[in-house]
Parts: sequence; C-alpha cells; structure tokens
Amino acid sequence: MSEATHAPRRTLAERLRSNPVTLKELRGRMRGARAFVVLTLYVVLISGFTSLLYLTYSTSTGLVASSSGSVIGKIIFGGVLGFQLFLVTFIAPSFTAGSISGERERQTFDLLRTTLLPARSVVMGKLGSALSYILLLLIAAVPLQSLAFLMGGVVIEEVALSLIMLLVTAITFSTAGVFFSSLTRRTLVASVLTYSFALVATIGLPLLALIFIPVLEMSFYDINSPVLEAILIYAGGFLVTTNPILTVIFTEIVLQEENTILFFDVNLSSSSGSIPLVSPWIVYVLFYVILTVVMLASSVRLVKKPEK
Amino acid sequence: MSVIIETKNLTKRYGQLTAVKDLTLQVEEGAIYGFVGPNGAGKTSTMRILTTLLTPTSGEAWIAGHSVAKEPRAVRRAIGYMPDFFGVYEDMKVWEYLDFFAACYDIPERERPALITDLLALVDLSHRHEDMVDSLSRGMKQRLCLARTLAHDPQILILDEPASGLDPRARIEIRELLVELSKLGKTIFFSSHILADVAEICTDIGIIEAGEMVTQGNIEEMQRLLIPHRTIFITLLGKLEETKDVLLNMENISEFEELPAENSRHRLRISLTGGDEAVSRLLSALVERGLPVVNFTEEERDLEEIFMRATKGIVS
Repeated sequence: MSEATHAPRRTLAERLRSNPVTLKELRGRMRGARAFVVLTLYVVLISGFTSLLYLTYSTSTGLVASSSGSVIGKIIFGGVLGFQLFLVTFIAPSFTAGSISGERERQTFDLLRTTLLPARSVVMGKLGSALSYILLLLIAAVPLQSLAFLMGGVVIEEVALSLIMLLVTAITFSTAGVFFSSLTRRTLVASVLTYSFALVATIGLPLLALIFIPVLEMSFYDINSPVLEAILIYAGGFLVTTNPILTVIFTEIVLQEENTILFFDVNLSSSSGSIPLVSPWIVYVLFYVILTVVMLASSVRLVKKPEK
Repeated sequence: MSVIIETKNLTKRYGQLTAVKDLTLQVEEGAIYGFVGPNGAGKTSTMRILTTLLTPTSGEAWIAGHSVAKEPRAVRRAIGYMPDFFGVYEDMKVWEYLDFFAACYDIPERERPALITDLLALVDLSHRHEDMVDSLSRGMKQRLCLARTLAHDPQILILDEPASGLDPRARIEIRELLVELSKLGKTIFFSSHILADVAEICTDIGIIEAGEMVTQGNIEEMQRLLIPHRTIFITLLGKLEETKDVLLNMENISEFEELPAENSRHRLRISLTGGDEAVSRLLSALVERGLPVVNFTEEERDLEEIFMRATKGIVS
C-alpha cells in the first residue's frame, strides 16, 4: 500500500499552515512595522467612527436613556458592520490583486511553476494569507461590536448573519483579486479590473435595479400581470442581493418585519395571491459562493496553464 | 552513458516568427552541455520547453525518460532550473528563500535546516545565512539561485545564461561551481553566449542559430570536424632556409609563413593537416636535421573559431 494511503487526512487549517506560499506571504506581510501600522490605523478609524456614531445619536436625543439603549446598540452594531463590509469589499482586493501578477513582475512565477507545488496550492496560499490578515482586522473590531451587546438591541441571529456575510464577502472579493491577478501580467491592470468588479457588484448592479425596476413597473403598470410582477420582484431582489450592504439592510428589514431569517411570503398587488421569497442573505451567500468557486477554479487553471 | 535530455523535431512558433525549428538534440548523462548561440537564436525558448514552462508548437522532448508534455511533474522533479534573471524574493532572508523552495519540492520541515546549511556551504554563502536577499551582491544572488536549483537534489540542471551580467570573479566562481556540481554527478545543460565560459568547462556543445541546431557533439570531435588544420609555431636560432626546405618536402604541411623575427630569432607559422602523429613527425624531422629549434608550440583551436565557422550570423 502506498504511503499516501496511510497519510492522515489534514484539516484545512493544517493544509494552510503547511502551504509554503501561505507561510512565505504571511512572513513577508508581518515583517516590519507596516502590518502593525495598518492594524493600528484600522482600529483607530473604526473606534473614531463608532464614537462619532454614539456622540451623534446621544447629542440628537439629548440623553441615552435605558429605552433608547437598544437603539444605540443597534446603530453601533450596524455602523461597525457597515465599516467592516466596506473594508472587505474595497480593501480585501488590494491584498490579492498583485498576488500572481506580482510574481510575474518579480520574475519569480517561472520558478514557482517549475517546482512540485501544485497550481491550487499557489492560489490557495495567496488567498489564505490575504484572508488571514483580513480576519485579523475583523477580529480586531470585535471589542467595538461587543459594545452593542452592552447596550442591547442586537439578537444572536443578527450577529451570526453578520459574521457569515463578512466572511463570504471577504472570501469572494479576495478571490476576485487573485482571479484578475492570474488573468493579467500587470498588477496595475489586475487592480483596475478587481476594483471595477467591486464597483459593479456594490454600486453598478444595485443602481441598475434602482433605475430599471421602477421603469419596468411603470411600463407594465397597466398590464396588471401577477407573473410579470413576480418576475420583477425576483429580478429586483436578485440585483439587490449582489450588494453586500443592501443585502444586510434588506435582511434586517425582513428579520424585523417578517420575523424570519429564512423564508417568507410576499403578497402581490396585481392579484390576491402571494409568492415565496428567501431572506436576501441566502441568495447573496449562494451567489457569491458559486462566483468564488468559479473564480478559484479559473485562477488555478490560469496558473497551471503553460505558455502557448 | 545514457541519454538524459532529448528533443526530436522540436518547433516553437510565435505567430509568424519561428523561434525553434525542428530542433533535435541529445545530452548524455553526466555531461556539461553548452548550448551556444547568438541572442535571439532560440536558446531560452528551448529551455522553457524543456522545463515545462512553454508548450512546443510541434515535436517532442524528454527529460530523464519523461515526456515534457505528458509528465510535467516527473520532469520538474528531475530538473533544477535557473532562468536568465535572478528571480529572488527581495523581502526574505537567505535561509527563508531556500526553505521556501525546499518546501515547494516537498522536502520535510525537519530535514530543511541541515539541507540549507549544506547548500549555503556549497555556494559559499554560509556567512550570509541570516541576511536579507536584497543585501546580496549580483554574484551572490546568482549563487543563491543556483543553490535553490539544488534543493531537491535533481539529476539535471538547466541553466539559462548563468554567468550573464556577472563580474569576472563571479563568473569564475559560477564556472567552478558548475564543474564541482558535475563532479557530484549532475548533468548540466546551460546556455551562454560567452564562449570562453563554454570552452572552459563543457564536455559537449550544441550551436543554435535562427532556431536551428547548426552542429552539436563532443567539443574535441567538433574541433576536429570544423577545424581540420592545426597551426604550429616554431622559433629557430638560425638555419631558416634549411628549415623551409624540410617543410617543403614534408607531407601534411599545407602551408607555412615566415613571421617577423623576435630578438634575432626566426619564427614560422605552419599549417598542418592530420593527427598527433603528423605533429610528432614534424618535430622529429626538425630535430633529426639538427635544426636549432628553441620553441615548438601548437595553437589552441578555440571555440570562437568553431562558432564562427559553424554559424552564419543569422538572427531570427
């Protein structure tokens, strides 16, 4: 029997630790003052933002009474979450946009490709190291998020969902950076493409939803078709769920109004019937996971492919 | 000796440009093979195909019996590749650089410290173990790259212009290292356009021009084939005319020429065909006639002459 058959199955964490690319990247990232300066700046910024939220609210209401504690708790929680979503959407890609193209520019890509390291290890190592640092930034903000628990107003479902949303967003946008980096030879081009992707996902598609759905609704106002109305609701809902911040807002609305984080029904205005819907975060997670898998597989293929 | 690197009708086209054309070569195990040609001749394209980095347009290549196209992993295990640029991570320590590549070749973590110590000793960089890579000189970086290629103890080293851009001392150090590695049983396939480097250490050469292999083989055989005549210089204390008579009556002497005298000594340059026996006969004839020969030297046939005779100066 081969040695490989006896080898114990390694966990994802063990595989990441034993990946030389992950170790090299982390070593490089954490060497010197830069990583710690970024971390400090990040904590200072997010603390300032949270303090500003608190002060703005307490000034506008005059005092923080026990009845309004839950409101301010929710505001702080939402504010910190929004800040973190912004971070993972626009800062995470900067950690990965130069991951593969940087190797090409440094002329070390050929050296890696002639070793026994599989292409998937190169891709996963780059992604893993970037995500580790992003995770560190997210964890650093936990004490600020926990302020919301002191004040109340936040339920466990909201905390769990915010964590899922943050992780999925971080993974997808970091993967986009790796994908565009393996697609192009220049880091500058990869960065432009990655940020274009982030802008389309966060602003482009929701803007499209906000513009076209009312136009379509008005165009088909007289038709009064329940099928058309259902299609418009699904299409609009899907476009909204391509945006992490809108997804969080709509998920919260569904949680507050429908008291669910899974499924609910929506009554149609064109008929007496209703259509089933899922909470936006589910569509978001599914869509982004599929996108991530496609981009990861493409990145591995691009890294593996010999030059033609 | 068995063939360890082989290509058959290897062709690489980039659009209209043919970089490598029907290239067939064989390198025997243990050889130091100099792959010589002008810039743009197709050396790097050939090496990139052999190292699995480039797909050939047509033809086949094998490394240690493994097909480059079908068994890239086995090929990578058998080779250590050094491209014609440094390819070093500047933000790493010297030992981290070697540790990283050793890990990329699946060398267990516990074995790496000893391996790194040995590799650094081999390339004479032990004293720079803890230094950052970007603090090394050009020659040191090149030696570090060479150490990297040895991390997994490959059978074959494929080195693209290993001495390019180095100062004379660093070039000599690299050359000595290659000889040392050859003694350790490595087959070395390296490209160069510095003929002195190739002539100094190679057992075999292949000359490529405009993507085509012009000639290849054992360096001494090639000298015999491409430069059939030998040139002998003799210096005499006197009896010049008698010496000329001897030369006129000897076989194998194709021509001779009187050179300007130096310190009242006569000098002749003699072109001679044939092997060592012909040279020996000439010397015996001169001595038997009691001619006052004070110097008898054969001009070394250098690689530059072979190269100039083999190539036409075409660049693709």
